Amino acid sequence: MNTLQRRFFDFFAPGARRISFGLALSVVCFLFAFPVLWLILTSLRPQSGVYYVYRGLDFTLDSFAQVFANERLVRAFFNSSVIATAATIFSILVTVSSGYMLSRFRGPIASGWFGAIYALRCVPFVTWVLPLYFVEQRWGLYDSYLGLLLPHIAVHICFFSWLMKGFFDGIDPSMEQAALIDGCTRWGAFLRVAVPSAMPAISALAVLSWLFSWNEFLFALILTGQHTPVITVVMAQFVSEMGMQWNLMAATAVLALVPAFLLTLFGQKYVIRGLKI
Amino acid sequence: MKLKNTWRKTFGEQQRFMLMLIAPAVTLLILFQAVPIFVGGSASFRDWMLYNPKKTWVGFSQYASVLTDPAFLQIVLPNTFVFMFSSVAISLVIGLALALTLNRPFRGQKLVQTILLMPLMVAPVIAAIMVRWMFNDEFGIVNVVLEALGGEGQPWLVQRWSAFSVIVLTDVWLWTPWFTLLLLAGLQSLPKEPFEAAAIDGTTAWRVFRYLTLPMLRPVIIVCIVIRSIDAFRTFDTVWALTGGGPARETELLSIYAYENAFVFLDFAKGSAAAIIGALIILVVGLALYRILDHVRKMS
Amino acid sequence: MIKAKQWAVACAAGLSLLVGSLGSAMAQQKELRIAYQPNPLQEASIDMMLKWGEKNNVKIIKVPNSYGVYVEKMTASLTSGSDQYDVIWHNDDWGQLWAHLVEPLDDVAGLKYADKWSTDPIIFFNKDGKTTVVPMGQTLGALFYRTDLIKESELPKTWKQLVTLSKKLQGEGKVKYGFVGGMDPNSDWNSSLWTLWNNSCDVMKPFGSRDNAVLAKNGWTSAFNEPCMRQVVEFWWDALNTDKISPRGMPAYGRNEANAVFTVGDAAFTVADTTYWSEFNDPAKSKVAGKVGLAQFPIGPMGKNVTLWNELWGWAIPKAVPAERKALAKKMLSDIMLDEDGQLALWKKTGAPPPNAALWSKIAKTDAFMQSLQKYYLDSPHKIHSAYYFANWPAVHKAYNNTVTKAVTGGRSDIPKVLAEGATLVHDAAIK
Repeated sequence: MNTLQRRFFDFFAPGARRISFGLALSVVCFLFAFPVLWLILTSLRPQSGVYYVYRGLDFTLDSFAQVFANERLVRAFFNSSVIATAATIFSILVTVSSGYMLSRFRGPIASGWFGAIYALRCVPFVTWVLPLYFVEQRWGLYDSYLGLLLPHIAVHICFFSWLMKGFFDGIDPSMEQAALIDGCTRWGAFLRVAVPSAMPAISALAVLSWLFSWNEFLFALILTGQHTPVITVVMAQFVSEMGMQWNLMAATAVLALVPAFLLTLFGQKYVIRGLKI
Repeated sequence: MKLKNTWRKTFGEQQRFMLMLIAPAVTLLILFQAVPIFVGGSASFRDWMLYNPKKTWVGFSQYASVLTDPAFLQIVLPNTFVFMFSSVAISLVIGLALALTLNRPFRGQKLVQTILLMPLMVAPVIAAIMVRWMFNDEFGIVNVVLEALGGEGQPWLVQRWSAFSVIVLTDVWLWTPWFTLLLLAGLQSLPKEPFEAAAIDGTTAWRVFRYLTLPMLRPVIIVCIVIRSIDAFRTFDTVWALTGGGPARETELLSIYAYENAFVFLDFAKGSAAAIIGALIILVVGLALYRILDHVRKMS
Repeated sequence: MIKAKQWAVACAAGLSLLVGSLGSAMAQQKELRIAYQPNPLQEASIDMMLKWGEKNNVKIIKVPNSYGVYVEKMTASLTSGSDQYDVIWHNDDWGQLWAHLVEPLDDVAGLKYADKWSTDPIIFFNKDGKTTVVPMGQTLGALFYRTDLIKESELPKTWKQLVTLSKKLQGEGKVKYGFVGGMDPNSDWNSSLWTLWNNSCDVMKPFGSRDNAVLAKNGWTSAFNEPCMRQVVEFWWDALNTDKISPRGMPAYGRNEANAVFTVGDAAFTVADTTYWSEFNDPAKSKVAGKVGLAQFPIGPMGKNVTLWNELWGWAIPKAVPAERKALAKKMLSDIMLDEDGQLALWKKTGAPPPNAALWSKIAKTDAFMQSLQKYYLDSPHKIHSAYYFANWPAVHKAYNNTVTKAVTGGRSDIPKVLAEGATLVHDAAIK
């Protein structure tokens, strides 16, 4: 639309552009939110109505009550939050330094490391999820917090190192050089100068990392058992060969959504500020 | 002491610092990714049925059996590439459009942004099951709405085109917010001056986008495309929960092929071989993609 | 410096978590660990174990596993010689896969009450001719119908009658569909397979044979080129496309979708595991509660007899378990076979005939559902095993299912071509 057209349009239909923009955006938002809204609606239906959600108007909080009464689910919520939080902290600890290295240095070590990260990212989970089960059994890590936590961190390393590198690329290294000239050690320059200026990126990764770990399914499926049930796996156990308790699954999924939602709500501004590749 | 000396002699001060920086990441990656991948890789050269792991060396015969499987070549690989291409392309376009929209202030911007990020909050498996119900021909809400609007309901999951669209759509829904986030972050870090100058010149929005935003955003877009393509190529759990590769293999992707061989037919070796072939393909494709996109960037 | 400290704290926290989780596993009391998949039948069986454990001062530890990865995880655990579980869920589908990995159980006293058909040597015996399973309950598919719409005397004896009756009910606006049943690879017993067996047909030739030597002698030949198979596929093609007695999306349905359509009252007939009986009749879960009856399978044009299956779910003991715990586990499995109250509770809760077959007639005296189950199913002389018992069966089953799906969703004139291709696929999958 050229300027003339726009003036013409604005003259005859003031606000029309704003309204159509708002309408279009509402439609998009509705489509994006719809599956989640539908999930919430489903979780409120009695068990006889979970498939034909649109037939009948009886709603109940019964499924939520059942979820809260289920000891294993409560434990799973606890475990999931412990693992997601710990995985976030450790992932950031290891990837900040790794990303810094990738950004600040050239040479065979840096390019070798980058190549390794890239290549490992390409391997489908199917190849290594079962061997992971074998090695964890041998190391005595199977069905323990560590046994789930460490692979989560390992998975995050590739992607997050890449993102951290991008962020450090955008920060002028002259500050660190100045610190080095002032007699700071390399570690000092990294910890006192580079890390503080990377806080936006760190908070962004923290949010993403937490969400990924919270929703992670395949590793948890293979690597957990009796001691460390996590929420995605317990949810999936409502599906069995002899039927599915979709109402409970939906209710659990809705409850699992709450912390993720709060985190996104309050964390998104850090994410956007921090994610620069 | 001796070890320490060797360490000091082999690497300079800077190299030692570099190695120390990545040491924890390298350790974790070796233990929990490289070692298992090595085990899986080694299995792909052996006779390794899960119920009877003889583990005898068979050379490349597992690879040969995958590469001569007509289903792998004619169904699985094309499906995987079509899926990767359409999912990445569609989510890139939508993600970019949304990022551009969110990049300027309007009332309710924060609310809209939160809503658009919703797919990131749901466990993908749950989302996939949800979508499966939504597209059911009998009780799915999609057909109910379609029929209410006077359209004709479809048996979505039993026709090739519609089943494939549903899995792509689900993937797009799940991953568009990811594009939006990264691109929005990229947009906000662009320098303001060129845009201000353009505004003073009265340049049209399209020209600003075409000749300013897009070129400046290209590095971010390239990285997004490459990372996302790799992940789309490996997609497993959503499609497995949604169609299981059906109807009759019409939505069977690489990871499903590998998973089915390894864990349903319990032929761990063949499944691993298929997965490693896939890894090599996407490794090359990813690099090529990066080169091509980067080349295009330098040309323009 | 700060970072090193954080590391130390975090590592300590991680370690203490690990130690904590290990520590809780070490208890003083004797204990047995049960690996199962959470569902009503297994829970009911484990309830008996818990009761037994209380009486005998043994701690029973339940370890739930997800269904989707149960077989692969357990198989990997068995071959690695792990003794982390003492009793594991066992099933006819992988009876032969595990025969060499689990303990022979022929010395379990309670086994003499087990149903003979479902403990068939072909399924569960190891190389030495010893059984490796103790049943926990029977699973069989059955035809359910709506008693408020169909009189018992009107029940269809043939597929043709099924179609006619369905069309009549649909025409009268009483139901949307005549028949619904799962058709995806995990539930095609409820559609194509029951019709197959009731048309005197089978997945492989010779029909009805489950003996691997016989199958091998016949060259692992698929039955896809047989007329009986073509009739089956054409029946479903018509049901979906021209007679429209089944939903068009049904080829992608699992059990859950089919049950959803049936329990909301949109279908007159369904085939489902008898374990759904209680769910179909539970007003909280089903809108047709109290209006569901049991009927016999109708037979196809070439069908000679009404044919059905009756397999067991059971328990096994891994070979790697130490002898003392093995003995304890065997004692427990034997004792729960004799736990009459427990088995009656299992029946009430699940609708699965209990593992102690001697109790079936006793239950039938007071229980109408068991009466019809015995009349139509359990006492029937014409049975078939609902799977094959060679290692490539999962691949064969998948090839079979893919072919049927392709045939019923394609053009009707393409059916012979699709079936001919399917014959090759099934054969190749079997001899792989």
